[in-house]
Amino acid sequence: MDTLLHKAISGDCHLLFDGGMGTMLQAAGLAAGELPELLCLTNPEHIEAIHRAYVEAGSDVITTNTFGANRLKLDGRATVDEVYAAAVSCARAAGAHLVAADIGPLGALLRPLGTLSFDEAYDAFAEQARAASDAGADLFIIETMTDVLEVKAAILACRENTGLPIFVTMTFEADGRTFLGTSPEVAAVTLDALGVDALGINCSQGPHELRALAQRMLAVTEKPLIVQANAGLPHVEHDCTVFDIGPEEYAAAVRGMVDDGVGILGGCCGTDPRHIALIADVLRGRTPRKREVPQAFTVTSAQALISLPTESRAIAVIGERINPTGKKRLKEALRTRDFDYLVSEGIAQQEQGADILDVNVGLPDIDEVDALQVAGERLSGAVTLPLQFDSTVPAALEAAVRRYPGKPIINSVNGKQEVLDEILPIAARYGANVIGLTLDEAGIPTTAEQRFEIAARIVGEAERHGIPRSRLLIDCLAMTVSTDQRQALETLRAISMVKERLGVKCTLGVSNVSFGLPQRPLLNGAFLAAALGAGLDTPILNPGSDRYMDAVRTFRVLNGEDAGARDYIERYAGWRDPYAKSDDKAIRLPDATASTRVDGNAPSAPSPNSERSIGHFVLTGRKRETAELTRELLNTLSPLDLIDAHLIPALDEVGTRFDRGELFLPQLMASAEAARAGFDVIREQMPASKELDKGTICVATVEGDIHDIGKNIVKMLLDNYGYTVIDLGRDVKPQAVLDAVREHDIKLVGLSALMTTTVPNMAKTIDLLHREAPGTLVMVGGAVLTPEYAEQIGADFYAKDAAESARIAAKVFG
Amino acid sequence: MRELPGALAGPRVVTLGGTEDPLAIDRNEMLRYLGHTGQNIEDDLACRIERVARDVEAHGRARGVFATFPVDASTLDDEGKACIRLTGTVATLRGRDIYRHLKDARWCTVLACTLGMDNERRLRALGAQSPLDAAIYDAASSALIESAVGHLDSMVQDAASAAGLSCNWRFSCGYGDCPLEAQGRLLASLDATRRIGLTVTPTNLMVPSKSVSAMIGVFEGPPRAADAPARCAICRMRASCSMRKRGTTC
Repeated sequence: MDTLLHKAISGDCHLLFDGGMGTMLQAAGLAAGELPELLCLTNPEHIEAIHRAYVEAGSDVITTNTFGANRLKLDGRATVDEVYAAAVSCARAAGAHLVAADIGPLGALLRPLGTLSFDEAYDAFAEQARAASDAGADLFIIETMTDVLEVKAAILACRENTGLPIFVTMTFEADGRTFLGTSPEVAAVTLDALGVDALGINCSQGPHELRALAQRMLAVTEKPLIVQANAGLPHVEHDCTVFDIGPEEYAAAVRGMVDDGVGILGGCCGTDPRHIALIADVLRGRTPRKREVPQAFTVTSAQALISLPTESRAIAVIGERINPTGKKRLKEALRTRDFDYLVSEGIAQQEQGADILDVNVGLPDIDEVDALQVAGERLSGAVTLPLQFDSTVPAALEAAVRRYPGKPIINSVNGKQEVLDEILPIAARYGANVIGLTLDEAGIPTTAEQRFEIAARIVGEAERHGIPRSRLLIDCLAMTVSTDQRQALETLRAISMVKERLGVKCTLGVSNVSFGLPQRPLLNGAFLAAALGAGLDTPILNPGSDRYMDAVRTFRVLNGEDAGARDYIERYAGWRDPYAKSDDKAIRLPDATASTRVDGNAPSAPSPNSERSIGHFVLTGRKRETAELTRELLNTLSPLDLIDAHLIPALDEVGTRFDRGELFLPQLMASAEAARAGFDVIREQMPASKELDKGTICVATVEGDIHDIGKNIVKMLLDNYGYTVIDLGRDVKPQAVLDAVREHDIKLVGLSALMTTTVPNMAKTIDLLHREAPGTLVMVGGAVLTPEYAEQIGADFYAKDAAESARIAAKVFG
Repeated sequence: MRELPGALAGPRVVTLGGTEDPLAIDRNEMLRYLGHTGQNIEDDLACRIERVARDVEAHGRARGVFATFPVDASTLDDEGKACIRLTGTVATLRGRDIYRHLKDARWCTVLACTLGMDNERRLRALGAQSPLDAAIYDAASSALIESAVGHLDSMVQDAASAAGLSCNWRFSCGYGDCPLEAQGRLLASLDATRRIGLTVTPTNLMVPSKSVSAMIGVFEGPPRAADAPARCAICRMRASCSMRKRGTTC
């Protein structure tokens, strides 16, 4: 590696990049929206001249004119290889000391919010990485990124396809976050974990604003920091765009950043060789300030950072509810790919106060490699909490961790050499944290000393793989006291030993301790408090339990984490102690979060003219009353009679009134919710009854379409009519629909498309189904469809609305 | 020939909403999106709708960007048909309706506005929890983005009239015979991905989904094609529209 580059990466010298390229080209007449990258091929002299001006101004590194040179943006107008070859030549010809291959965002949003998959993004970046490396670039500058997942795809593509150093910058808006909600701290911690050589900030704002953001990054990473600010904001003067910060002011701001410890500098939009020349003056004769950042155990999602400094006793709660063990409903959801259920469990735990979510989807009869990855994707689209991937299948862990937008936790390794050899490389490759269980080939040892020994071995193995102690959590394992009463204290002693002697944080699931005894939560709560006292950092528990969360919140006062006991006072000042003796019945106040939850069916006085019938309650959308009356009627009616004579006719009546315009959509849906409450009562009382199963229907929004409100309404209604609905989600490829049809032996498929541009994909899906799965019927719906259009694309049924889809289903399933 | 006033030229990035100056939702418009045609709404449901609307208003932030380009209506497209080109951009606008909208304009202000990823994520989260709340949230967000784009439109109109110029109404891709395919290049001319975080899928849908793009003609004299036609008049869906059947519009 070049000496200057090596020293800069080691933090021993400053490095100066160049300034704006696009704004200089636009000033010279490039059309808005045109691809500047093509100029490397059509007008290389012009590009070379700009590069040369920067070299002469003192830039050590010249950035190739390849910001958008990816296959998506080039769209066949030139190959990626051609553009990089020409771009690197321009930079070399200009006399660049170092050539940084520029990689910008792909311009398409990744799933789960967009439609591009991680693997497609990776492939596009890999093509760029190879092209740049073949063309002879010295390093990569991945820049102006807003999406942690996209930047991760780019980093992995560069690292797995070349051996060049990787510099990364992300761009933050005035609110201090990227468009996807990532803060400078989250970005710095995540990029650091991914092993980039330098990281930082560019574009969007001027040097004064970016200095403040850079300080936030400097506080959490020891990596060399890059800052490339805009020359302030643009405005138009006499038909020309000018930026409001001149070279002198810009250089003065840069001096401040260098004082703060920023090592690598340059400019972005609106900067030109004059800015760079003055920065070169600032850097002359200086070396980067040495920094020491306090060690911490850190976990990130794209939107949140959980940081437990090594020297602090701060704690974080890992929510354990997403785990099918002993949970019938979750098992069923995983088998029917009802990831919405899993997501709603995640949201509930977030509202209950979890800091991290454990995700375990292990069932013997599902493809865990796929399921864990999809669960990670779906959860990261809806909750902001960082995830902990929990599996015994290394391939599942790798698939999920690789595609996760953040720095997750892997649960888990243990002292078995085979497991360490399989899992630690995954944690190392993706910068993930990892939990080490204190058991090995010989089982779970009974003494604290023996568990400590295993922990020490895990720490050693991890370090051998380049995983520092700050990325480990040791689980000293809670044992059942009803089997061996000495065990609880041994676990607590082991925690203290690991914390003190190894300097590693600890995790623990507490509930095992009470197995076989009555009032288990009581014992668990006491053990949790004791474990926190012994040094437990990340308890794994059900945050829906007030008992556990009381222990957590009170401990946060005792360890000083809840400064001034503010949270404690806010939550508990008006709390009724369940132990306090009083004439009143001791009633817990509802959770603050629960009370603000949107739930339209809070108890309300029945209206005076209310008639006490299922029909009336469903028609007026009364969940609670429907459930109560259903429970009551089950004493005299069979479940089937109740469904056929009460619930279904009520839903039919709702459908008819909706058709006549007497009810509007939210009323139809509120009725469906009420009916659902009735069905839930029936299902509770007669679990897994074949008689209740009316058939399985698969629904999907077609490939390329991202609208799913309509599809979700259909799903809800069909579900309440007693059908099992397999929801494939949105942007679903035709093949995926066919696969589901085959796997679940589906007779009726519902497809939704909202836009004219996505109806062709609906036609493709129908065509594939009719060819490959003859006998499968397809109903279609969505704003742009008409009966004629539906017929034209080969659909078997046209559903003008959700109520109609239920009628079609009744026809198909008889 | 007069110069384009700086306030209109852009690109100008605007943030709308927030605790100090929250965006407001037109309740009637929101209900219309939900298909309401005067039905009596139970109190519980009315409260629930109102709660969601307030939540959307309280957290609603919009980012907008606009820029103005000279209109060139003098050239033909690759198929030999009259089209509109926006000078200094790569955008070419095809179809009779947009041609009529802009052919006599001196400039065209292109604007785009989005409620952003927070809104999108919240919509997704509600979709998993409660389809009803999600449907209400969706309608409330649609009404909110309309309100935001209305603000942006007013800024453009004010800047134009301050300079003695006039404007016509805002026309979006997908109206009449203006193809959605123009969306990508139109947004590229605003650098909307970089400036406001707005992206377009390969199927020409905008993400975040609560986003609007539009084109306003800017005139030196009185505006031509000044009155927005009833939306239905140029809508492809008018024959089959379920809203029209119920006597309402979108």
